[in-house]
Amino acid sequence: MKRAALLWLVLVLAASAYLLTRLLGGVQFQTDFTALLPQEERDPGVQQAKDRVAQILNRRIVVLIGDRERATARAAGAALAEELRHSGLTASVTYTTSGDGLRKLGESFFRYRFGLLTAGDRALLQQGRGEEIVARALASVYGPIGIADANLLRHDPFLLLPTYLADLPRPLPRLAPDDGVLSTQDGQEHYVLITAELAGDPFALAFADRFVARFDQAEQRLRAATPDLRVLRLGTIFYAEAGAAAATRETSAISIVSLLGTVLLVLAVFRALRPLGLTLLAIGTGVICAFAVSLWLFGTLHVAALLFGVSLIGIALDYCLQYLTARFNPEDGTPAQRLRRVLPGIVLGITTTLIGYLTLLLAPFPGLRQVAVFSAVGLVASFATVLLWLPALDQAAPLAHGEGLLRAAGWLWEFWEEPRRRYRWPRQVLCAALAVAALLGAWRLRAEDDIRRYEALSPPLKQQEAELRRLTGINGGTEFLLVRAADEESALETEESLLDRLQQGKAEGVLSGFQAIAQVIPSAARQRDNRTLVRDRLMAPFLASYDERLGLPAGAAHDVGDPGPLTLAAIPAGSPLALLHDLDLGAGTGGAMHVVLLYGVARLGALRQIAEAVPGVRLIDPVGDLTRLLGQYRRRAVLVLALSALLMLPVVYWRYGLRGGMRVALPPAIAVLATPPLVALAGVPFTFFNAMALVLVLSVGFDYAVFCRETDAAHRPATMLGVWLAMATTLLSFGLLGASRVFAVHAFGITLLVGTLLAFFAAPVAGTSTTNRSRLSQGGQ
Amino acid sequence: MMRPLWFALLLVIAAAPLALGRPLEQPPLRPGESLSGRFVQERHLAGLTAPLVSEGRFLLAAGKGLVWHTEKPFDTTIVITPAGLLQLVDGREVQRLPAARAPLLARLYTMLGGALGGDWSAMAQDFSVERRSGEAGWTILLKPLAGDDPAAVPLQSIAIAGSAFVDSVEIHRPNGDWDHLTFSNEVRSSAPLAGADARLLETDAP
Repeated sequence: MKRAALLWLVLVLAASAYLLTRLLGGVQFQTDFTALLPQEERDPGVQQAKDRVAQILNRRIVVLIGDRERATARAAGAALAEELRHSGLTASVTYTTSGDGLRKLGESFFRYRFGLLTAGDRALLQQGRGEEIVARALASVYGPIGIADANLLRHDPFLLLPTYLADLPRPLPRLAPDDGVLSTQDGQEHYVLITAELAGDPFALAFADRFVARFDQAEQRLRAATPDLRVLRLGTIFYAEAGAAAATRETSAISIVSLLGTVLLVLAVFRALRPLGLTLLAIGTGVICAFAVSLWLFGTLHVAALLFGVSLIGIALDYCLQYLTARFNPEDGTPAQRLRRVLPGIVLGITTTLIGYLTLLLAPFPGLRQVAVFSAVGLVASFATVLLWLPALDQAAPLAHGEGLLRAAGWLWEFWEEPRRRYRWPRQVLCAALAVAALLGAWRLRAEDDIRRYEALSPPLKQQEAELRRLTGINGGTEFLLVRAADEESALETEESLLDRLQQGKAEGVLSGFQAIAQVIPSAARQRDNRTLVRDRLMAPFLASYDERLGLPAGAAHDVGDPGPLTLAAIPAGSPLALLHDLDLGAGTGGAMHVVLLYGVARLGALRQIAEAVPGVRLIDPVGDLTRLLGQYRRRAVLVLALSALLMLPVVYWRYGLRGGMRVALPPAIAVLATPPLVALAGVPFTFFNAMALVLVLSVGFDYAVFCRETDAAHRPATMLGVWLAMATTLLSFGLLGASRVFAVHAFGITLLVGTLLAFFAAPVAGTSTTNRSRLSQGGQ
Repeated sequence: MMRPLWFALLLVIAAAPLALGRPLEQPPLRPGESLSGRFVQERHLAGLTAPLVSEGRFLLAAGKGLVWHTEKPFDTTIVITPAGLLQLVDGREVQRLPAARAPLLARLYTMLGGALGGDWSAMAQDFSVERRSGEAGWTILLKPLAGDDPAAVPLQSIAIAGSAFVDSVEIHRPNGDWDHLTFSNEVRSSAPLAGADARLLETDAP
């Protein structure tokens, strides 16, 4: 035994050393959700695109400033833009788009003008209706809103370029420049728009704190000057900061209550510090070994696997407490005796639990495998510590102060099994009430994988977002299309055939808008084709009479030579179209990769069909992917749960026979089956997080039942005290998570809370077999 | 680029009813009233051998908007209402611009409303206003003040002259191009709108 304990010490030290070197060596934990996908469903290109688009979307903030006085709104806008620009926290701030930027764009496009046709003009020329373009040009030249001077008419007689520029897609459909500032009017209020790109990661808490604090300060200063000013903000960073602030407050509250509660409970029961230290030692060695072995096996770990793994190891507490409460048995004087007393229960408990955890290995999902290995290794290590170290470290004599505690702990047993059937009625009423509640809940039970709907986002921010979206027409989601091709030209050509279909989809209400490079930069082939159309169907038949009619001097230079194709590189940085550069992900991929942003997607299915109809195009739906992933994981977890329950049955059958085995299986079965409907009664849907909590509930249920089954009448109170303590510590460490406002945490916590309580409540049922009954009646005589 | 012309156009409209009777004293057009007449527009573009001349008729309906119908040398119509702008060629829509996409247009309406009521303060934010009246009639000279973005105002001056009604308007641009508009046959009416004008201002409006 001593040799084994020493060997175990060597192993734990080795694991600690390995873990330390890995952690100091800067191990990278996986955080992205695709790492949890089965291998064959991963695609590095898609991941890169997702990251890039997420970065574009997440790093942008949009601010709308409104006042009844136009001048006040503009002054406030300029002041805030200046403040943001000088904060050092933004990469760029856009407030004034000077006519200069537009003019530069016009200048850089001018050479290519005859290759650039709006979809409408192109269609007119293809149909041989060039005279309609001529009529429109004449109306513009003569009309009260004349945009042309003689110079423009000489070089672009039919005003094709102004038409093209006016037709370019606008990401902010309701805004228009007013004296250089993107503005809109709503009733009496004048609004101006500021957009900015952050210099840092909105999810990096320190950065988010700094930025939002700076922004709040600036807003307060503006309000001090103009109390009625409206400031509407939208950006991932505002939500991230508000969420993190709420979570930090909540987490510290929960963990303080949890830690204090656990410590006080253990101190109150044992009236000594040592049991607390021993408990921590058992859990600690478990986590260290689990961590080290998992890193060694997988090379890295996903943070989600880490969190679930640590939670699942928490069950080792049950075994530790069983051993520790054996000290309340007066006749078990030595640690060895105590260990012998509880060993059968612990071994059976850990066997069933291991079966439960290892079944997770059968799911072909990397996340679940990591959880399985992590929790199984941790559990075995904790068990080894209880077995090998605790008796050596715990030489104290039996505890004598426990009479009241033991009586209280034994009460639950009496409730189920007292001889005079005093509790028969309450028992029946309670069981019936539980059954009715579970049935009612089963009726409300439904699965949900789109956890966004349950995220508690800051309501004032949501309100501002809704208002800002209404005023600006911003309605972008997270979906986008990914276009991949061998080279830039074929990517543009692919986009062109895609754009025709998207236009059709827009007319049918599939989506409200889109933004693509090819809307601004036609493919070289299309530009050539456009030039031919302009030359043959517009210039040749109509130019001479047009010039004559306007009185343009003969010999005006209508330059239709080939300047080569307009390319993305021609768009100057800082121009209103600079965003297009963000849509080009081609660099470093060997081919071309473009993103097409989508706005106001109403029918995702129809959009998917559009994408599938064009080779090289793929619809990427990050939120939908996460929802599907969680759905797959949820279904797997439930299957695994059922399978592991089946696999546990032979173990209890082998030990207790058919009837006894059934009795032992009853409490965990009740807990696992009744918990989801009871939780559903509280309006919480069934998610992957509930399913993972149920894996733990099943193990806890078997543990409690096995402990109750293994004990005899004389030691029953000490056993029940151990079960009672295990239940209370589980609730303190995990059940409290039910109070969280983070949905996943809340779902996990509340399921564990209800499940553990049910498992605890029903545990004595496992012990009330005929053999126990005869012993009990002997004890009663 | 469209800005100076909207200004010019709307200022003309603002000034026209202003000239009815006692200038600058009381709102000349009451709700339900309208003013209509004919116009001739000469556009002088540098480098063109002759000015581009067009003519047609206009209708201004208080609280509803303006119809600017060019008949010669070809048929084209522009409708401006508080909701936005609509352009038709031969009765077919070629351009439509909702006011939300053009806050400038909405602002011009504020100015217009002010000018119609004799309040030139909204106008004075963007223009220096110089008024003169004599025996034969009156003139108003407007010059743009420098805005936040000077490039956005390629407009040098607008001169409006009239007596009982607006008689002529001259708009000069920095590049030397200029427009000259003359108005005639102006009639004030309180009869309800009818026909194509009513449809354009009341149902087809953007």
